[in-house]
Amino acid sequence: MSQLSSADTTTETPAEEATEVEIDERRQAVLDELTARLGDAVVGSHIRPGDDLWVRVERAAWPEAAQVAKALGYTWFDFLSGIDWLPSPFGRDMDAQVDLQVSGAPVKEPAPLVQGYAGGDTRFQVFARLYSIAAGMGIHFKADLPDDELSIGTWSRTYFGADWHERETAEMFGFHFEGHPHLVKLYLPADFQGFPLRKDFPLLARRVRPWPGIVDVEPMPGGDESEGEGE
Amino acid sequence: MGLVESGKLPKSLNKLLSISRKYSIWAYQWGLACCAIEMGAAFASPRYDVMRLGVIPFPASPRQADLVVIAGTVTDKLAPAVVRLYEQMPDPKYVISMGSCANCGGPYWDSYSVTKGVDQLIPVDVYVPGCPPRPEALLEGILLLQERIAHEDMADRWKGEPIVVG
Amino acid sequence: MTATSDREQIAALAARANDNRVNLDFETEGMTLNMGPQHPATHGTLRIVARLDGEQVISAEPVPGYMHRGYEKLVEVRSYPQINTLVNRIDWLGSFANEVPFILAAEKLMGVEAPPRAQWIRTILFEMSRIANISLFLGDYGLQLGAMTAGFYAFRDREHVLNQIEAATGGRFHPNFDRIGGLKDDLPKGWITDSHRAMDKLLAFCDELDDLLVGNEIFQSRTRGIGVIPRDIALSYGLSGANLRASGVDWDLRRDSCPPGLVYDQADWKVWTHPDGDCFGRTWVRLQETREAALIVKQLLDTIPSGPVMAKVPRIIKVPEGEAYVETENPLGAMGYYIISKGDLVPFRVKIRSASFNNISVVPWVARGAYVPDLISILGSLYFILGDIDR
Ligand code: SF4
Repeated sequence: MSQLSSADTTTETPAEEATEVEIDERRQAVLDELTARLGDAVVGSHIRPGDDLWVRVERAAWPEAAQVAKALGYTWFDFLSGIDWLPSPFGRDMDAQVDLQVSGAPVKEPAPLVQGYAGGDTRFQVFARLYSIAAGMGIHFKADLPDDELSIGTWSRTYFGADWHERETAEMFGFHFEGHPHLVKLYLPADFQGFPLRKDFPLLARRVRPWPGIVDVEPMPGGDESEGEGE
Repeated sequence: MGLVESGKLPKSLNKLLSISRKYSIWAYQWGLACCAIEMGAAFASPRYDVMRLGVIPFPASPRQADLVVIAGTVTDKLAPAVVRLYEQMPDPKYVISMGSCANCGGPYWDSYSVTKGVDQLIPVDVYVPGCPPRPEALLEGILLLQERIAHEDMADRWKGEPIVVG
Repeated sequence: MTATSDREQIAALAARANDNRVNLDFETEGMTLNMGPQHPATHGTLRIVARLDGEQVISAEPVPGYMHRGYEKLVEVRSYPQINTLVNRIDWLGSFANEVPFILAAEKLMGVEAPPRAQWIRTILFEMSRIANISLFLGDYGLQLGAMTAGFYAFRDREHVLNQIEAATGGRFHPNFDRIGGLKDDLPKGWITDSHRAMDKLLAFCDELDDLLVGNEIFQSRTRGIGVIPRDIALSYGLSGANLRASGVDWDLRRDSCPPGLVYDQADWKVWTHPDGDCFGRTWVRLQETREAALIVKQLLDTIPSGPVMAKVPRIIKVPEGEAYVETENPLGAMGYYIISKGDLVPFRVKIRSASFNNISVVPWVARGAYVPDLISILGSLYFILGDIDR
């Protein structure tokens, strides 16, 4: 398999072009097939040649997307989860901002809310990955969830494995999966408050006591080794 | 053993009792996370062989155990079970907290679901630090505990400070 | 709860189960069996709530979460080298294997590639942690089914691999040895010869276990035909690793889509499958895999190229913006990291796809209609590590 030269663009080095274009076509074909079957429900896509395919579908078409993908041979269920695209209101990482506030320095403005590959319009997205063992390729599916209605159809009828993944996502992000047979908490105690993987969920231990180890990621005076961490 | 608890036991008898207790510790292994494997290596593998120290690591239930080794991460969801297990054990009972997680939360010190130290729940006699501690460290912890048991006066069992290996 | 309402409940459950594996002829009183959270057969703190009808399981629901440590949140506030330390502890028996997909995903985003020597050593250590992991399974599974000896043998021979891992990385497990762009250190002197010797011992251990455990009649009668998972169900639940291959799916990420950075194509080895999909098949595939891993290590040891073990990477690791997913064939199955980076010192979001989580979610399906003693066989053969379920 060819090594990628760049992470976030589709530019290729000339030497790799022959293989990359070929693999690219395979993923393009899958994307075309999905678009043909799902119609307008495919609202965004991204292909990284030789590597992966991202497809964003309408929220209403989410369960249907699973059925279509399964019919295309994507029978192996990999994972399902959610993303909160809100930049952390506690700054880049929680320590730094708390430290700054204590010493009276201005707190950095949080970065704007930008969605990743295949675009998006909302703060919350669900994303999932399916894999075809025959083709040796995977597809990442994404779907937007509007803030005022964090609810989406379940995949657990098409892929049994989605059952637990949806329960996990539900407790971590507070999403609702319509038609899920048993949407109760999986990991957390039943009386747990809040949704830990949302960006505005604070890690209280960190706010109470900033970890001194944060200096580890800053350059050390006189250090000239090639590794980036102190131990 | 009303005599023991009243503190009216003759000195020499107390000593004999302590020595016999020292060499017949039934240890309940409660492996919770990675540390459990090192505890398993210390307790069940021929290389470290804990039985030569007079520790029997196979009680069928905590109700038959003198010592419980809490090896690994204790989470808030698990906390009630830890307390219940401790309460099931008959007195005199000892607790070894093995690994940074059980001592203080370890690498998950800032997690939303990890209990930062099992000593918030139950009294701990020996802390064995490390992530994971080597099996030798656990054996050292057991030796220190035996030391304590040998010199223990039953009457003021709880007054002693915990032991930290290392 | 009265007997009548209990019977009704059983009937309702059986109707939902929608198959005739549940026997309702004997009108026994239903019972709920709660295994765990402290139960020796659950490797720690998994809890299984089983509804029984006599000796038969009507429904079994695992309750995970007793080991949930919040990895996906914690990694959002740690820099990449710090995360490397943390992810070691997901599947604690094969720790090095946890680091590899994470490092590969970060390398993919950064566009760096480890030098060949580092790739070789990475693959060798990867396979060694597979051996360290699965050999314990083989011993422990015997232990759960009443064959004590296998457990002692496994603990004894596992030490040989741990010694090698320790000699190279400094840690018996939790090595934290992998770095973005290479490895922390080169191999110590004499390591290659020692490793050859250790692998020979491991191969002997596999043969021994082949006779002692897998060839044992009692073992066979407790595992053959028990807990059968058909191919479609296995795929739909997202099973992976030996659990999937024991259901007849010939798929191994090491062979079929090996990510750049690992050199499995440099060794000559075989992917084993089993057609039955039962507990025996899963154990058998794992045994073959251990042997195959030892052979891979031996071949790669002979061909390690010379050169540096670290590529040029900046001292402070900032990963460029983007998303990447890398999945590798870990001892327990397919493990993947989906990294979303915003160009910071810390990742924006990391989704950890761990194998046991999917592997164990099939329990409600496969345990239905089984007998209580078989529940132990089934759970053991699915082979999970609590940290890998709960993260
Ligand atoms: S102290 Fe370290 S090795 Fe022990 S359970 Fe905690 S993380 Fe695992």
